[in-house]
Amino acid sequence: MKKNLLTVIVGAVLILIFVLLLFTFQVRKSEEVVVATFMKPTRNIDQPGLYFKWPWPIQKVYRYDQRVQNFEDKYSESYTADNITLLSSVYVGWKITDASTFIQKFPGDTADSIPLAQSKLEGMLRTAKLGVMGKHALSDIVNPDPRALKFEAIEQEIEQAVQAELQGKNYGFELVFLGFKRIGLPDSVTQTVFDRMKNERGVLISQLQSSGDSEALKIKASAERQASEMIANATATARQIEGEGEAKAAETYKLLDQNPDLASFLLKIRTLPQLLNQHATMILDDRAAPFDLFTASPATNSASH
Amino acid sequence: MSHEHHHHDHDHGHDERQASSAVVPEVQDAGSQALSEALRSSFAVVKIVMVLMVLVFIGSGFFQVGPSEKAVILRFGKPVGEGQKALLTSGLHWSFPYPIDEVVKIPISKQQTITSTIGWYFTTPEQELSGEELPAGPSLNPAIDGYVITGDRNIIHSRAILTYTVNDPVRYVFDFVSASNALQNILNNALLYTAAHYKVDDALFNDTTGFRKAVEQRVSEMADEEKLGIVVEQISDMRSIPPRQLKSVFDQVITTRENRNRVIDDAKNYANTNLNAASSTAFAITNQAEAARVEYVSSMIALATNFSAQLPYYKLNPTFFRQQQLGDVMAKAFANVQRKIFVPQRADGKPTEVRLLISDQPPQPKTSANP
Repeated sequence: MKKNLLTVIVGAVLILIFVLLLFTFQVRKSEEVVVATFMKPTRNIDQPGLYFKWPWPIQKVYRYDQRVQNFEDKYSESYTADNITLLSSVYVGWKITDASTFIQKFPGDTADSIPLAQSKLEGMLRTAKLGVMGKHALSDIVNPDPRALKFEAIEQEIEQAVQAELQGKNYGFELVFLGFKRIGLPDSVTQTVFDRMKNERGVLISQLQSSGDSEALKIKASAERQASEMIANATATARQIEGEGEAKAAETYKLLDQNPDLASFLLKIRTLPQLLNQHATMILDDRAAPFDLFTASPATNSASH
Repeated sequence: MSHEHHHHDHDHGHDERQASSAVVPEVQDAGSQALSEALRSSFAVVKIVMVLMVLVFIGSGFFQVGPSEKAVILRFGKPVGEGQKALLTSGLHWSFPYPIDEVVKIPISKQQTITSTIGWYFTTPEQELSGEELPAGPSLNPAIDGYVITGDRNIIHSRAILTYTVNDPVRYVFDFVSASNALQNILNNALLYTAAHYKVDDALFNDTTGFRKAVEQRVSEMADEEKLGIVVEQISDMRSIPPRQLKSVFDQVITTRENRNRVIDDAKNYANTNLNAASSTAFAITNQAEAARVEYVSSMIALATNFSAQLPYYKLNPTFFRQQQLGDVMAKAFANVQRKIFVPQRADGKPTEVRLLISDQPPQPKTSANP
């Protein structure tokens, strides 16, 4: 009895597992599942969990990733409004929004349907890019003036054009974001750009040289002007100081005016020792005091004065 | 009672043997006993195996979450717990084995890096390390060479390495097939976008930090906008160079710019020296004037004082006063002046002719000049 019971339990568990495998399926988080009955989509589930189904070949489960998928188009040529050939590649984030619609437009397993959808998307991107780029000049795409640059606006225009087409034709997926991945020029044009850059460098070199020289001259001239100004100011100040000295000294003139003879004598006598210094040569005759003592009588001497 | 129960139990376990022993003779009973022994022991093995399997089943449910990651358990595809509560932190955890539960691990606090090379010419890390890069051709082949176009329509090469961490693991894993791929494209886009704003000289020389910061900011903004669940740490490495085809002419600009700066620096030095000299000269001029003023005024005051003191004596006898004063001064002068020549008047009253050799030479030493 006991052995039978065990066998029955084991058997029942095995059958249960087998049945579960046949009759149930899981929907993983961020996954949408379409259940097709005899190849016809009959149910779609976007909530994760365990679900029942009829076994194959009655029902088949198709799984779709609801997450944002990455895609980028080929690096391809387009023309700007000012007739410049530009190469560009955009990257997009896209996701399936309605799996039941998606499966109708792109039938089969995801391994087949996703590339189909992406090639559809690539075509739309190409058309949108050609259209939008043709409306803009190169100066809208590269420009040092941020107000004139329309880089983001162009990205938005392309995104909106593709988005509108996706919604209009109801493909069951949408764009989440779009941006330029690469922007470039055709091979031969790069060489032309190099030539121009080279010329611009040449101009810059001569500008740097001449502006350096003139700047240096300006600095020197300005310094020299300032220096002579300083000295001129100092000389003026010195004159003023001298004048102040004169004015101060003039106060003594009134006093000296009491006896101009004495004042004049004192001034002379004060100057005399300064003149008769060590290096002076004195030539004297006997009329000069006190040598007059040798020749004249006291009466004559005193009379001469 | 306990014996009966045991017996009863025994009967249940081997009812087949009991049934056969009732019919089959004694000899066969020994054989069936041996068979029953074998069966019993093999059942024991099966039981052990089953217990082991159950243990393995339970044991296989244990898993570790590292310090720099988080994990989410999906039970039948559905996260266990809501939102942030679904995140398991580091440590030992248990889940049912597949296919009931699935453990999704997400790297989080560890810094991750991505590199953008869409703006770089064709090279490999090995070539770059060994310095054996292929020589630059006359132009750039769009199929293999990358570059970015600056706002003033110059071509430059620029590449960047971005470090980031995951701050919203649920979003990072369950909203994007490859969030890191999306981030890589954002970095590419940020390089294009920032270069499109910048002038070539600013991007390469004058404002390289600003250029890097602008790329960083753009990436950060776009990653937030697209809700990738990441935080941009920084652009850890960024390099921008002129096209290799124009290296020499760009180098020449650098040399010229350095020369220009040197010329200007020289001029500034000259200006400083000049101004300093002028400043000290000016100071000397005013200083001298000030000193002269003080001296002049004080000499005049001294004269006035002397005048006031001498006036009474002068008034008494001007001639005598003059003689006395002059005598004093002359006496001092005679002592001081080295060359004194006395020329007596001729007896006939005619002028005396004196010829002097006036020399700039300093006077002879005292010993020979003074008798």
